[in-house]
Amino acid sequence: MKNKRKLPKIRMSELVPFIAFIVLLAFFSIGTKGKMLSSYSLKMLVEQSILTIISGCGVLFVVAQGSIDLTVGVNVALSGVIAMHVAQSTGIGWLMVPAALLIGLLLGLLNGFIVSKCHVPSFTLSIAMLIGVRGIVNYIQTIIGVEYVPASMQFITSSGFRIAAFAVIAVVMAYLFEFTKIGRYSRAIGENETTARYVGVPVDRMKILVFALSGLTAGFGALFSMATVGGTTQTMGVFLEMKVAMSVFFGGVLVTGGSSAKFYKIILGALSITIIVYGLSLMGMSDSHISQSVEGGLLLLILFITLLTNRRQKARKEPDVPAAGETEQA
Amino acid sequence: MPTTANDSRTGRARGLKNWQFYLIFAGVIVLVLLLFHLISGGGFLEWSNIKGIISRSAYPSFIAWGFCFLFACGYTDMSIGGVVVLGSFASCIFGNWYGLPGVILGGLLVGLCLIFINFLIFTYSGIPSWIAGISLAMIYEALAFLLKISRSTKALISTSLAKEYRVLGQLPWCLILLLAGLVVVYYLYNRTTVGLNIRALGGNRDVAEKLGINVKKTLLCVGFISGILVGVACVLQQSYAGQTTVKTGLTSINMIFQPLAIYLLAQIIRERINIVICVPICAFILYSIFNLLTMLGVPSGTLQEACLGAFIILFGIIGSRRVKGVVK
Amino acid sequence: MSGEVILEIRGLNKHFGPTYANKNIDFTLRRGEVHGLIGENGSGKSTLLSQIAGLYRSDSGEMQVNGKTYDPHSPLDANAHGISMVMQELGVIGSLPTGVNVFLGRTGRFAKGGIVDLREMNRAAAAVFEKWGLNMPPLNKLTENMIIEDRKMIELARALSIDPEILLLDEVTQSLSLNNRRNLYDLIARYKDMNRSVIVITHDIEEMIRITDTITVLRDGEVVGQVNSAETDPDQIRMMMVGRRISGDYYRDDKTADCGGEAVLSVRDLSIPGELEDVSFDVHAGEILGFCGLSDAGIHSVGKAVFGLISGSGTVHFLPTDVNITSAPQALANHIGYIPKDRDREALMIHASIRDNSVLPSVNELRAAMGLLPPGKVSGMAESIRRRFSVKSTGIMQSMNALSGGNKQKVNLGRWLAKDLRLLILDCPTRGVDVGVKAAIYALMKEAKKNGIAMILISDELTEVLGMADRLLVMKDGRITKEIRRDEDFTEQSVIGVMI
Repeated sequence: MKNKRKLPKIRMSELVPFIAFIVLLAFFSIGTKGKMLSSYSLKMLVEQSILTIISGCGVLFVVAQGSIDLTVGVNVALSGVIAMHVAQSTGIGWLMVPAALLIGLLLGLLNGFIVSKCHVPSFTLSIAMLIGVRGIVNYIQTIIGVEYVPASMQFITSSGFRIAAFAVIAVVMAYLFEFTKIGRYSRAIGENETTARYVGVPVDRMKILVFALSGLTAGFGALFSMATVGGTTQTMGVFLEMKVAMSVFFGGVLVTGGSSAKFYKIILGALSITIIVYGLSLMGMSDSHISQSVEGGLLLLILFITLLTNRRQKARKEPDVPAAGETEQA
Repeated sequence: MPTTANDSRTGRARGLKNWQFYLIFAGVIVLVLLLFHLISGGGFLEWSNIKGIISRSAYPSFIAWGFCFLFACGYTDMSIGGVVVLGSFASCIFGNWYGLPGVILGGLLVGLCLIFINFLIFTYSGIPSWIAGISLAMIYEALAFLLKISRSTKALISTSLAKEYRVLGQLPWCLILLLAGLVVVYYLYNRTTVGLNIRALGGNRDVAEKLGINVKKTLLCVGFISGILVGVACVLQQSYAGQTTVKTGLTSINMIFQPLAIYLLAQIIRERINIVICVPICAFILYSIFNLLTMLGVPSGTLQEACLGAFIILFGIIGSRRVKGVVK
Repeated sequence: MSGEVILEIRGLNKHFGPTYANKNIDFTLRRGEVHGLIGENGSGKSTLLSQIAGLYRSDSGEMQVNGKTYDPHSPLDANAHGISMVMQELGVIGSLPTGVNVFLGRTGRFAKGGIVDLREMNRAAAAVFEKWGLNMPPLNKLTENMIIEDRKMIELARALSIDPEILLLDEVTQSLSLNNRRNLYDLIARYKDMNRSVIVITHDIEEMIRITDTITVLRDGEVVGQVNSAETDPDQIRMMMVGRRISGDYYRDDKTADCGGEAVLSVRDLSIPGELEDVSFDVHAGEILGFCGLSDAGIHSVGKAVFGLISGSGTVHFLPTDVNITSAPQALANHIGYIPKDRDREALMIHASIRDNSVLPSVNELRAAMGLLPPGKVSGMAESIRRRFSVKSTGIMQSMNALSGGNKQKVNLGRWLAKDLRLLILDCPTRGVDVGVKAAIYALMKEAKKNGIAMILISDELTEVLGMADRLLVMKDGRITKEIRRDEDFTEQSVIGVMI
């Protein structure tokens, strides 16, 4: 049985997102008669995934802990709107960057505090923030309207700059997640928070930290969003949190996080989602309702399959049964 | 050695006796209402205003009751907004064809069917309900949008429901429905075997199964009960508003924020007052607050939404005060 | 015992996947008999009981109750035949109150026209508790925040509410404090007098011999023997369970109280409302300080407080670094280790790998420049723990839940011993662990003692603390009531009097 295999076991559940990605790519390549595989398309794929991946890096840490942060979209909107206004009204273009990061960070810290110290479930908090902060953003925009990237900062809108900046941020976040204490502790908290506490992991501090991190990456996301479009818009960050959540789960991370959370998964998931959206638009079916229903349906399917394959790995719950293949020698 | 809040022998709560709590609670509400009246410059306690608040509280109360059963089972259904949109369409279409019976049956049947489908997915796919709900919301929204633009159904939907068929949305009918709902849901939730089994299942499914509770039958009941409740909500929504707008981009989730806030507020008081009774009371409180805000000139859609968000957080914090153990 | 057979089992088989949980089991139970089932983890005791109770269907074999074929489809079916069971895992619904939990699944009995009469149901529930002399938790309170003991009482009441002819108890005594245990023993004795039967599973061999008439020993899913309790002794039982003689060198065989080393921890006037009151003690290097008492005596809280997980007034002073311990991360940084009582829920990450579990307490020590945790070093540490403590597994990436209880405990203990510790807190370290691993753990403790590590040993098993500790602090109602040293009157008698 298990003892026979000498190679490291690759679990079926880990393969599913890869298979899905390949299937999607194949499907849309055929459906768009090859247009999907052109160098232009592939570049677009990467570009359109950037925002999701950057904003999602931080969320990955939160999900690893078993919580969820759906405030990314409104965080991007709030940070962007305020940062742009600061830059425009003071005339100092580069202030936009620290302003966006600061607002993002502060909102993240607030989230972290409420979840860890006030014991509000992260989901409830996310929903509340979604509606509350969006209300505030809308209100601010009724006063100041839409604003544009100042001339001094126009260089950030270039595609080359964006891709380079993205690469740097992604590498740093990947390093933090896979090779440092924050990542390891976060996964432990997701696996079993009580255990983490009892082993001396500073759980509350870790919770606040990852939400702050998530807020920070949302700040970056705001900058990227404005760099892509050239300024703020009325619908900044709308649906972004759903895209991010979908990417994380599409990539195969379990809702409970833990060891299933790995950095490559968000990249895989984001690319998959972008393939769907971009592919549909290439096929002329860019109506929001088609795109949306396809995304919705596929998400359900992926989650289902990931769970199905993951269940086989977990031990069955019969009492007193020794592990298959192992007998206890007293 | 461990002290409990209850006397070990009689099981009665120490501290405030129940009747004392009810008195204080009622007193506080009366005071707050009077306060609102003062702040609003005398417009608040007028009957026409109160009538409006009650009508507005009806449909969210039914959804919040649906939440009681769904949450008791451990499910968070984010697609209810999408379901209500589709259900309201059905009420509208069938109402314009068949009159009042059409209004009722249309909404009920569609609401029931869709919630039931949701339920089957939650139960048998193993996908956590909140994210399955989001996916379903996307699908339902797309469906509604399709109905709106497709030539065959376009016209049917844009016609608003004729005035005479909208009776249920106004007093006295919505109040009667509300009270009837209260009685039925109360007994269902607290005093029937079905209700207790549902709560058992939600508390710990494995244990419930081992005790011989028929899981499938119970889950079917939850789907049915919450389906009916959402169905009634669809009917009320269409009757109250006369028309339903299509939502896309997951804005249908906004439609559940208000019932959610009501449910969370009810959760806080549930230790003293049964949650089923709390729901319509909290609905009334919440809409009174919004009513006041509107009277004071706070713009709806922006800052009122901000207030709603803040309330949910506030109620959530207060409600989680005594939560021990892990919160994700 | 009337001698009349009430339950007869022949050739019972049950497997889960490729493993045999029960193989060809023959078993007989008479009226008025108290029959014990004992065996190591994985021997099949719970599976056998679960089939009798209707939780699982057997694969083959026959069961007869009162001479008639018995093949229950569900626990309710078993109840109808007068058989009920208290399960090993927790079996109450947290979101429902006590009264409802007692009659859950059978609430129809109290229903008039579809509406359940809660008052009537609560009255019936109270009657059950009173009839059998059980401590009753508040009837209308939700069970979710109740202590394990209260929940077990509710499960017991539920099993008794059907007035069963055969009562099945699976590891019930483990979660109970001494006085509740005595109530249970009285209950079992009453059952005997009523000419009804009980089947008991417990890990405590001495207890088993005391309260049962007959004992059946299982090993690897099969029956290896059956003895009369009056004619056997713990060593014989142990040998049957394990198949070889366990030498008496199990616990410590010395009588010296070795606490002359320097003081490592000094607790003064520690008080936590509802748990501890004015607790003061010292622990010395190389000393094993034992704590024993009833479940609510506060012994487990002491462990948590020393590790900084809970706090109150008073001080927990760690001498080598001259700090007061107020949080777990701080305790960890000060070379203190903690092994909690609940292995699966509090100590380990069950679905994670052996590697991730092994390195968790040592993450800070593994860090290199720029916060890096070198994967090589991480795997290396995990592998060395796996080898040093002979954890039976396929590799460090194997999932924790594939291991047996004993091997899980080896990882649990090993990863702490792999650190450079000054003080180690052990809360019921051999709970749910079989004889062979138990001996190994005691050996490890003796070795740690030689290396000068101070240890706090908290245990529900009197024999364990008496066997291993240098000094023993007896607690009752949150206070320390007596201290005895190994070289004094170190016996059960001197302790029990002050414990209850």
